Parts: sequence; C-alpha cells; structure tokens
Amino acid sequence: MTAVLKEVPRTPMAATSSNDTPARVSSLLNRLREVVGDEGLLCKPEQLLVYECDGYVVEKKCPDVVVFPTSTEQVVAIVKLCHEFDVPFVPRGAGTSLAGGCLPIGGGVMIALTRMKQIIEVNYRDRYAIVEPGLVNVHLTNHLKGSGYHYAPDPSSQGACTIGGNFATNSGGPHTLKYGVTVNHVLGAEVVMPDGSIAQLGGVTEDSPGYDLTGLFVGNEGTLGIATKVIVRLTRDPAAYRTMLGIFETVSDATKAISEIIGAGIVPAALEMMDQGIVSAVEQAFHFGFPLDAGAVLLIEVDGLEVAVDEEAQRISALCTQSGAREVRQANTQKERLLLWKCRKQAFGAIGRLSPSYCTQDGVVPRTKLPEILEFIIACGQRHGLRIVNVFHAGDGNIHPILLFDERDTEQVKRVLEASDEILGKCIELGGSVTGEHGIGVEKISFMDKLFAAEDLAVMGTIRDCFNPTGRCSPGKMLPTSAGCGNEAMPRIKPGRRAAM
Amino acid sequence: MTAEFTPTTQSELARFVAENAVGDKRTLSPVGGRTALHYGFKADEAQTVIAMSGLGRVVDYPARDMTITVEAGMRMDELQATLASERQRLPIDIAQAGRATLGGALATNTSGPRRFGHGTFRDFVIGISAVDAHGRAFKAGGRVVKNVAGYDICKLLVGSRGTLAIITQVTLKLRPLAETSALLWSSFASLADIDRALERLLISDARPVAVEVLNPAAASLIAASSRCELTVTAPVLCLGVEGSKREVDWQVETLRREVAPFGVTSSNVVSDPEAAAMWQALTEFQTCADDPLTFQANVRPSQCVAFLERATKLNVAVQAHVANGIVIGQLPESAATVDETTTILNELRQAARSSNGNLHVLHCDPEWQPLLPMCGAPEPTWPLMRQLKQKLDPHGLLNPGLFVDGVESR
Repeated sequence: MTAVLKEVPRTPMAATSSNDTPARVSSLLNRLREVVGDEGLLCKPEQLLVYECDGYVVEKKCPDVVVFPTSTEQVVAIVKLCHEFDVPFVPRGAGTSLAGGCLPIGGGVMIALTRMKQIIEVNYRDRYAIVEPGLVNVHLTNHLKGSGYHYAPDPSSQGACTIGGNFATNSGGPHTLKYGVTVNHVLGAEVVMPDGSIAQLGGVTEDSPGYDLTGLFVGNEGTLGIATKVIVRLTRDPAAYRTMLGIFETVSDATKAISEIIGAGIVPAALEMMDQGIVSAVEQAFHFGFPLDAGAVLLIEVDGLEVAVDEEAQRISALCTQSGAREVRQANTQKERLLLWKCRKQAFGAIGRLSPSYCTQDGVVPRTKLPEILEFIIACGQRHGLRIVNVFHAGDGNIHPILLFDERDTEQVKRVLEASDEILGKCIELGGSVTGEHGIGVEKISFMDKLFAAEDLAVMGTIRDCFNPTGRCSPGKMLPTSAGCGNEAMPRIKPGRRAAM
Repeated sequence: MTAEFTPTTQSELARFVAENAVGDKRTLSPVGGRTALHYGFKADEAQTVIAMSGLGRVVDYPARDMTITVEAGMRMDELQATLASERQRLPIDIAQAGRATLGGALATNTSGPRRFGHGTFRDFVIGISAVDAHGRAFKAGGRVVKNVAGYDICKLLVGSRGTLAIITQVTLKLRPLAETSALLWSSFASLADIDRALERLLISDARPVAVEVLNPAAASLIAASSRCELTVTAPVLCLGVEGSKREVDWQVETLRREVAPFGVTSSNVVSDPEAAAMWQALTEFQTCADDPLTFQANVRPSQCVAFLERATKLNVAVQAHVANGIVIGQLPESAATVDETTTILNELRQAARSSNGNLHVLHCDPEWQPLLPMCGAPEPTWPLMRQLKQKLDPHGLLNPGLFVDGVESR
C-alpha cells in the first residue's frame, strides 16, 4: 500500500510524502482555491473541527482541508489535484454516517458535496428524477409532494442526510420492508472516478447494455468514486394506509407476532419495534400516549388499495392478538399517523433522557431468529451489567440495540464494547450480518473477516483496486487491508454516542 | 472439440476451474438450460462447456423468513413449484421455465411483463456464490433481506452472462403468491390513443403490476398462444393486476373506467384460470424461435409508443412493457436476409438511441451474429467494464469475446 493510510500531522497540510514542505502545502491550498474560490474552502483548525467525525464519534481525525465544490468539473479538478499532490481524499454529505463512513483517515482533502444540491430534473412520465448528491433526502420528498409520486427510501435521518450519502451507503429506512433499499431505486449516476475521470453509470432507461455498475457502486462507501449526479426512480404513492400500534406485555410476545405476520405471507409497508425503555423516553419527549407499562410496542403500517388495507390490517391485528397483544390501536387521523412516525424516527433523539451516552448497533438476523437474538441481547446486558434498549426495523430482522452508559466510566465503556461485539458475533452465528443499513465504514471493519472468507474479501479487493488503484479515494474504509493498516491507526477506545438514527 | 464438464458439487467445480487456470487455460462457458446460447457477440466456441444441471439442489428454504438458497442449476419451474408449496414465489416472469435455470436466467437478467410491479433480478438476489476464473469460490451478500456489508457483487453478476464468474448458488428474497390475477385487454383505434390513456394511468387509482402495449401483429401472436378469444386487429393495451379477488375485481373495473374515454374499441377481461395462459404468452413472446430475429429495445417510457409506431411500419411484431420502456420485437419472416434485417435494426436502433436508449438482439440465426448489434451499441462505460473483466479474468477464460470485451476486435 502507499503511504496514504499513515497517520499524518493535522497541520500543516497533509504530509503524506516526506518531501512535503510548507511551500508545497500552500501551493495545494492555492490551487484548490483557484478551483472552488475562497468561500469554498476551509483550512483553519477551528473550522476543521466540525469535520473531524460524523455520527460515529468514537474515532476522530481532522481533514487538512475541506472543499465545497459546486459542480462536477470542480470535483474532477479537486480529485486531480489530490493525485498531483499525493494526498488522500474523502467525500462527505451531511455526515450522518453511524459507521465512520466520512472519517478522513490519513487526513487530506475532504470533498463536502452539500453545495451541490439542485434537483436537476423531475420526469413523472418516465418516473425518474436527476438530483445532485448534496440534496437532502426529505427535500426531494417535499418537492414531489402532491404529484402522486415519491422517492421511496426514507432513512430515519432523512431530514439531514443527503441522496449522495444514501447512494454511497445504500441506505435503508422503515419502509424498505416493502419498497426496498436505495439500490432498488437508483437507475444510474454520474460518478467522478478515483482517477478524476467522469463515468455515466446506468441512465434514464432501464437495462443498459453491460454490467450493472450502478448496482455495484451503490453502497461502495466512497471507495469507488464520488457520485455527482444520481438518477433515482420515482414510486407511485400508496392509495391508502393503515397505521397500527400493537401493545405487548413482553418483548418475546412482540417478536412472536413479527414472526407470525411475516410467516403468514403478509408484507407490511413497515414493521417496527420499540421496547419499554425506548417507549418511556419517547413518551416523555413527544407525549403520544404510549402505555408506559407495556414490555414492547409494534408500529405496523400497511399500505395499498383502499379496498384491501382494512382486511390486511385486520389480519395483522388478529395475529398480534393471538401472539398475546394486550391491545391493537389504529391511528385514526393523518396527524396521529405522522406523530407516531415522528416518535419512531426521532426515537434516538429521546435517548438523552435515559443516559449520558449510548451506542447502537446495526445487526441483522433472519426474521424468525428475532426472538432468539433479543433474548441474547437481554442476557448479554445482564451479564455485563448494562442497560440495553431496543428500537428497530423488525420486519427486516434489522436490530438496533442501544447500549446505555456513561463514558466517564472507563470500565463501563469496556463492557459496552465487549457486549457490542458479542451481539454482532451472535448475529453472524444466527446467519445474519453486522450491518443492515449503516455500512461497514471504519467501525465494523474488524468484522469483515468474520462475515466473509479470505476469497470473498480478495474478490472485493480486486474490484476496489480495479477502480481505485492508488487507494487515495476514501482510504481505510469497508475492506480490511491485507497489511492490516486500515484500522490499526485508529484504535477503538470508546463506543459511539449516536446523534441520530 | 468442445469438452463438457458437469460438476455435482460447488467445490468440485472450483477445483476444476482452479486446475484449468494454472494448467491448460481452456476457455470455459457455463450453461444452464441452454436457452440463450447465442445471446451476445459471436465468439469462438468455448473449449469446455460447464453444464450446471448437476447443481440443482435446495440448500436452505426457511419459508417463514421468506428467503430461499438454491444451487444455480435449478430449473425455474422446479424453483417456482418449491416456492408455491409454501404459497410463495419469485415474482419474475421467466420464459421457457421448463428448461431455463436460475443461474442462466440471472446471468442474462431475464424478465417479463410483471417487472413493472415487482422489479427484476437485481431486486431479489440477496446473496450469491460463484467461482471466478482463478477457481476462487467466493460469495457476496448473505441470507438476510437487508445487508450492506461489502460490495454488492450480486448486482454485478446479474446480467453478466457468465463472463465474470460462474454463478453456483443464489439466495433470493421472496414474495407471497398472489391470491388471483386478471388482465384487462383493451383494443384502441390507434397507438396514439393508447399513449393518451397511458398518460391518464400515471395517476390511476389502481396499481397494475403489468402495463403492456402490443401492436396488432404482436397481439395476434400472443392471443393465439394464450388460446384466448380476443380482438387482435387493432393495437392493444393490456393491464395486469394481482391480489385478493376483491382487489383484482376493483382494479379491473377502475382501470376499465379510467381508459374508456381514450378511444377503447373493445375490451375483455381475462381472469384466472385463463389469466395464467395469458401471463405465459406475454412472457414467452421474447423466445419465439421460429422467427428470424428477436430484439429488445430500451427506451424512455414516454417514447415507447412512438417507437412502436415506427416498428409497426416496418412490419415488426412488438410488445412493450411500456411503463418500464422495454420493447420486445420480432422481425417479420420477410426479413430473410442479413441486409434487410440490418436495415430494419439500424432504423430502430437509431430511434432507441435518440430516446437515451439502446437496442440489442436476443436471438437470431447464429450466422448473423457477427454482423448485428448483439449487445447493443457500445456505451461510454464499456472500457471500465472491460477493465473489470480483465482484473477478474486476466486470461480471458470465461466466455471471452461474448460481451463487453467482444467489442474491441470489432
């Protein structure tokens, strides 16, 4: 590997080669300024502090400079300068990654895409929109409102996260259960490749001849290039919804209901679980009227035709009751429905009421294994003397156990890390994965060789090296390097306190 | 001189390919049901055919998780029968399901009319195992429905035509079987009238899973093959719906009402059990082996009808999965020479390209293969794809020259 993975001094400018001199540094800064202007560049230490981490706050590293391009041509020029000066670069959207996807390992140039946020074209007849990567997910949703169409992926962080970030991480969200994740809604992209060339992947028509590079690039975590335009699929709005709240005495009854619903061949639009700990925090924050003594609640939404949703809602309600639900309520108004969803999507924000710090995981298990993994999580919490609460995408088997702790207590911190690793290890053992939607980033890189065999990683490495041979584009992400230098520069000392989910 | 190897386990295949990679370096061609052998550029015949028919087992079917893991040589009709026993399905229409294998269908990214409602292979493959040209048995994805660990090589192998790796095992996300289905077959005075109806359907109250437009030539072939008594002398808009009996009835009535003002001259409803035959006829249209040539054009949905009008003038029978912008065309028997065929294809290809699309040949006389746009016009990203092919298969052992790497010599 090249020297780009090495720890480098924060200032002056990214000194990855030994012959770096202040003159050379200021030369790069000047050249970058020529591209993006004074207003498009940050390089003072106090300005850079904001960019030292994303939603994964465990590992921190300031970039040496942050640039804010406003066009594809500027991104190209920046990437070419990075090569000329032999410095690493990393793209960043809103920085909501929970896995350190935007961490500038080795410093270098951070390419913040937030000023490229235009909606370039919306075409309802051909059911696509072309947007710039810095567009905030919910801004697209708002733009499409009233048209009868929407962009389906709805990560809980959609109020902040960008379409470019969603593209890079293949983001999910509550409604992916029925509608699929980001990759299922991306038709193509314009990508600035790691060497600075521009590639048009896919397009506005389906089935472009050739390999599905679009599909490969979605979820590449910035390691294969920088998306500068994304062509997304528009989806017809559902005609009707029924949103329900199933109230259960125990977590085990709730997971049984989930299993029964999926097993009965029903695919709800969303199926989310919150346990007692989360419910009490959410209730204090939003005053929905959740029962505080319930062991768990399920938030279930079915959508479809008006003639069909009531029947489906009744079937689900009956399955909940059979599984021991105390009560199944239905949201009677759109306002009530939106409040329920607000409670769910902002649940992580309410956790501050429970403890000073928390750490969440993103494991996935086959849906029928949910009771098993939840029992394991409870036992694991008891074994380590930790409080763990749960709010997650139950219908997909995508768990988000939240480990509560106080980061001032180093011994407790150690137990949190151990418990997290045990939970993810159990997910693998049950036939699942260590990340359903947050990505590997830097956080879970050490799990890659537990999830995949050496051959699997070798093939993935071949693909990365094919498009990113110098490794300067997003170094140290997703794939463990054979020399093991991807992660060791970043020893994990503290679990994350997550800002949003 | 073509040898054939029929592995019975995935590791046996990996060993064979690994030995070949360090030894004879014979060119290899994986085959499933052999329904698409002449799909792609004309290339030298592979020295060894890898017959996947011996790898057809169900590896794991946790029906209550709504996923299945099977070996790639499993025939599509067997797969669907296995799933149907649990009231589940893979909702992708595959032609010649009695011969086609899952691996082959996936490698050619086959689809049919219901792709509008359900999507294509890329939406259902959640895990894949394959053997690369070095003989490395590798996997990507997993067995859970949501998973973002590592590169999504599943997507890369869908439609890769056996040129990057030999697909050995696949994990699929499943859907429940629909209780029932129906098709509303409406004839219109002109294709232009259909276009106006399609505009209206953009905000339909119903949610059809298939939106098909057929010119009279295609309508008559499809009606004959489905053995349904239908009007076939005019252009047809055929809308497919699925769901409970109540949903299906309601949608058929709603759609009938919505399209009525746009010049419907006659309409029929094809319900179950006849609907099954109609779905099959709509799916099999792309494989009529008697005709000189079948092609697929990909255009923007809004340009589909204009494309159909043009094709109709050239006496081509055309079916469009119109909401996806996919057009399947069969050339008339009058297109008997390669020159006539080329003239027709060039005009249509031009039309497709002017709509940001392209056109490729699905099936033709093998002798014509070197002369026709078998894989469509080269796209600007083909050099990137060749680079990837070169990295994964440096000696060019897997179906060399058949796909994006076949263009250099052209």
